[in-house]
Amino acid sequence: MSVPATLELRGLRKVFFPGTANEVVALQGIDLALPAGQFVSIIGSNGSGKSTLLNAVAGTFAPSSGSVLLGGEDVTRRPEHVRSRVIGRVFQDPRAGTAPSMTIEENLALSLMRSRRSGLRRGVTRRRRAIMAEQLARLGMGLEGRLGAEVTKLSGGQRQAMSLLMAAVAEPGLLLLDEHTAALDPKVAATIMDLTAAIVAERGLTTLMVTHNMELALRYGDRLVMMHAGRIVLDLDAGQKAALTVRDLIEKFHAVAGEAFAVDRMLLE
Amino acid sequence: MEAILSSAFEQGLLYCFMVLGVFITFRVLDFPDLTVDGSLPLGAAVTAALIVAGHSPALATLAGVGAGLCAGLLTGSLHLLLKSGESDSTNYGPKLLAGILMMTALYTVNLRIMGKSNIPLLGVDGIFEKLGALFSLSFIGWNLVAAVAVLALLVKYVLDWFLHTEFGLCLQATGDNEQMIRAMGTNTDLTRVVGLGIANALVALTGSLVAQQQGFADVGMGIGTIVAGLAGVIMGEVLFGARSISWVLFSVIGGSIVYRLLIAVSLRLGIAPTDLKLLTAALVVVALSVPTVRRKVVRG
Repeated sequence: MSVPATLELRGLRKVFFPGTANEVVALQGIDLALPAGQFVSIIGSNGSGKSTLLNAVAGTFAPSSGSVLLGGEDVTRRPEHVRSRVIGRVFQDPRAGTAPSMTIEENLALSLMRSRRSGLRRGVTRRRRAIMAEQLARLGMGLEGRLGAEVTKLSGGQRQAMSLLMAAVAEPGLLLLDEHTAALDPKVAATIMDLTAAIVAERGLTTLMVTHNMELALRYGDRLVMMHAGRIVLDLDAGQKAALTVRDLIEKFHAVAGEAFAVDRMLLE
Repeated sequence: MEAILSSAFEQGLLYCFMVLGVFITFRVLDFPDLTVDGSLPLGAAVTAALIVAGHSPALATLAGVGAGLCAGLLTGSLHLLLKSGESDSTNYGPKLLAGILMMTALYTVNLRIMGKSNIPLLGVDGIFEKLGALFSLSFIGWNLVAAVAVLALLVKYVLDWFLHTEFGLCLQATGDNEQMIRAMGTNTDLTRVVGLGIANALVALTGSLVAQQQGFADVGMGIGTIVAGLAGVIMGEVLFGARSISWVLFSVIGGSIVYRLLIAVSLRLGIAPTDLKLLTAALVVVALSVPTVRRKVVRG
């Protein structure tokens, strides 16, 4: 178990396919600092670089230049699985966060083992089962009574709730949410989002949430960052964003980005 | 009939370690590992060479298993080199290539270890003769079946325990959802290499025992191992079910026995031994395509 960590990005750049005709500069030198326990929403259209940013923080690939500091420590060159010991992550695809043919209790046992080396002790112990049942009961989905069921039998919403729990249960220093409600139907998405807010608040997790839903970004989190074409174009604190509506946000975006924008899609959500 | 039955059970149980190995690679790790065609004769070669050189059969068997372990670890390491940093678990190219390369390389290694293409073990005691002397029994027929069954049960329970340890769960998750288990802080490169090592150790155990039971090691005895292993895995799953890991380990052992029964019956019906590999391949094709065909038929 670790404590919420600070996150600092310094001049983070990422170029895909450098030196070829397909060269794309996905991140153009991002500077961003999160104090411990801050919940930041990142919005932006497709291709703005918001998911690339999350991947760079998680260590899915190495940045072309710049550095990632987690808890004051430079982790830029550390492989993904090492960083993962202190970073929890929930993906957009509900299938991505769980092992489908393993049972609910085996999945949760894996998440409880995070941050330390796995050994030859039994994975699912009575003590762990008690923790799981307690945590699952809070989801209000009745999963605590189905510990031995295979995850593949669960609905998308149930799987995403489990992914969230698994990302947060070992209290990671940093929680990354990658459009984690985008693939769910609206009602389930709202449930998962409320659950997210409750878990983040209760544990005071440092959190980066990527979304292209402006309403979500305004309603949740202590800070709002807007990205466009690989840059941060807007950075609002809790006070500033509390005064805004989705319409204000779109106008602000037009002012900074200065070009046509996929407004319709965002308004629809 | 009695003799056919006992011999099919005997072969099925001797080969069940190999089938368990193929199950671990194919099903648990989602890694179609062709190394097994080379690691089965490797186990046989090491064991036969050591026994002929005057070492104890127990030591020779252990050494054979150890050699299989090393072969699997090497395949895993080779895969790390070939996949060139990508962690896309659905990319089977490097996995297949790593296995093919090891299988080919092992052919030479096996010939070098044996010094010739066939080592007869007639007139020297293998592990079954030694065990027989210990219990004053002769391990042929049903006695041999019982002895190998005990070993199979033991291996089954150790595997079952291992796959439910913390490391074992990580290994299972590596084949089930690699992205997720990496995001949980597990080094999936390590779990995969270890899994391949264990699987090929099991395959080599079959090679070692079969050589001692049939009285010779032959460099060609591994041809078609992967397909025979797959046939055993699929038949076990289809006939006995796959409701949990603990259960499916039993199913796979059962599948191995049923497969050898089928072979015994085919031979009895007059099918030439040389035609068996084609038959096995056809069997695997049919078993694997049934779900696809059924889906198409249902959809119309």
